[in-house]
Amino acid sequence: MQARPAFAIDVAAVVDDRPAEGVFRVRREAFTSPEIFDLELAHIFESTWVFIGLESQVRHPHDFVTTYIGRQPVVLSRAADGSLHCFLNSCRHRGAMVCPTRAGNKKMHVCRYHGWSYDSAGRSLAVAHIKDGQYRPEFQCAEHHLEPVARLSSYRGFVFASLSADVPPLEEHLGGAARLLDLVVDQGPQGLEYVPGEVRYTFAANWKFQFENGLDFYHFATTHAGYVEVLNHRVATGQMPQPRTYEDEATPEGVGSYTFPYGHAVMYAIRKQGRVHVRPIAEDPAVREELRSRVGADAFKWMLRQRNLTIFPNLQVVDISSLQLRVWRPLAPDLTEIESHCLAPVGESARAREMRIRHYEDFFNPTGLGSSDDNVMYELCQAGYEARSAGATQGYERGMAPARPDDPYSRELKIQPDGWAYGPVTFGDETCLQAGWREWKRLLLKGLSRASR
Amino acid sequence: MNEAEATFIAARHLAREGALLDRLDWDAWLELYREDAVYWVPGWIDEDTQTSDVRTQVSLIYHTRRDELLDRIIRIRSRKSVTAMPLPRTTHSASNVLVESFAPGRIAATAAFVVHEHHPRHRRSSTLFGRYDFEIVEEGGAWRYARKKIVLMNDLIPTIVDFYNI
Repeated sequence: MQARPAFAIDVAAVVDDRPAEGVFRVRREAFTSPEIFDLELAHIFESTWVFIGLESQVRHPHDFVTTYIGRQPVVLSRAADGSLHCFLNSCRHRGAMVCPTRAGNKKMHVCRYHGWSYDSAGRSLAVAHIKDGQYRPEFQCAEHHLEPVARLSSYRGFVFASLSADVPPLEEHLGGAARLLDLVVDQGPQGLEYVPGEVRYTFAANWKFQFENGLDFYHFATTHAGYVEVLNHRVATGQMPQPRTYEDEATPEGVGSYTFPYGHAVMYAIRKQGRVHVRPIAEDPAVREELRSRVGADAFKWMLRQRNLTIFPNLQVVDISSLQLRVWRPLAPDLTEIESHCLAPVGESARAREMRIRHYEDFFNPTGLGSSDDNVMYELCQAGYEARSAGATQGYERGMAPARPDDPYSRELKIQPDGWAYGPVTFGDETCLQAGWREWKRLLLKGLSRASR
Repeated sequence: MNEAEATFIAARHLAREGALLDRLDWDAWLELYREDAVYWVPGWIDEDTQTSDVRTQVSLIYHTRRDELLDRIIRIRSRKSVTAMPLPRTTHSASNVLVESFAPGRIAATAAFVVHEHHPRHRRSSTLFGRYDFEIVEEGGAWRYARKKIVLMNDLIPTIVDFYNI
């Protein structure tokens, strides 16, 4: 007989995934339990690939930025030889944070506590006054480098790291989702950069509400009805141009999704009305022509469609009237910190850049007219999820009975997804959330089995 | 106008604005702004540096017309934005008003601000604080903002910041 796990919650039962019976349910404890939260940090955030930054944040030798992998502070740094390094931001001596600032450029990092020093690759330069330290010879011979992460890799400027070596190569991890990242990176011939002015905010709710909401087209019309009211007012008063579209007549409006191994997913919308059809990359005919000839007609067409991409577990790139990158850090079961950036092609025109920034400020962030609605909804959900007696939620089953036999767009996108969904704009697929939850369950069960060995 | 009078006018303008926001009297609040008023909440580049160029950097809020402030009011009055259902209770407090320059019909000043807010639904209170840098002009006997810059010091923002809680 198998020993019962010491852990009080049966993780396998939290996600009730029975595709043959058309059942996909998640127990509310997944969002409220402190025990599950601890498991998520240990076995998801600190055990798989997580996004940690853009290469363009550390463009020059000795540039560094600080961030977190799960609970653990890390430094992403470019060394003298141009190579990228990521190491834990904790002195080997007494553990103080070696880089206490957000970002900078330093050839040498000196711990402010006792003066141990490291180079920009994290290698130990000196243990202060080692000769007079009356250390045993074993200590003198030991290495004193800042601890590197187990895996560090980047895909077209997106840098990922893992604290566990037990992960597939990054290219395998991203799989077909990399094609969706290509549609973002390829928007400029010189790649992407963050527009200066990152925004950080918190909401008093679980991180998975953001994960889910970023793939959720269904909520837009109700959650953001106040924003839609503002858009209507702007059009009616001539403050905003009449809606137009980049789509041809033959293409129907619709929304859909694709899912990929390891929990990644994209939600897309093909719309012919609304502000989504004012894009910084499509304003200048010369830019349009450059794009179309460089990436091809199909890829360019998709660049102009709304795509919300989730790279599980901590990255979302939202491409609508502006381009947003957000990354989250779970702080507690009911507290999440979001870091939000406006993403932009390097070298775009001043006019396109300003338009991009204004569109981004209009909708995103706790100061924008859209994301603030989402933040409050997450908090209402967190409070509502305490109603455990109400049983599992019914939020994952739109799209489980596909209305058509084949998927319309994967060939055009050159992807072979695990799953797909497609329907009218009122459809709002939820099956795309299931991929992330399956990966969530796989990683937690893998972690628990490793821990019990 | 001497400096004491200018200080009084600037302080009264801030006090009036705070009271109107605390009482949700947004129509009267809008009247404190010129139609082409610049309303700007810069972001932060790093620990010490605010954003300074709205064309190349992200701001938290950047409006160049009073109509854009009206958009925010329309959103709330639509009763369709959950951010306002219910609104937080706020207390605006502005102090340490220093006039930087003044001329007939025009005053530039800086002040410290604190906004305390309480969210009845979440039973949570928080505080937002920073500086106001502003310029007011007199038009037809009324003082109005030509520009107002709100420097938010605690920029790890809890859930939502809108015109009513800064």
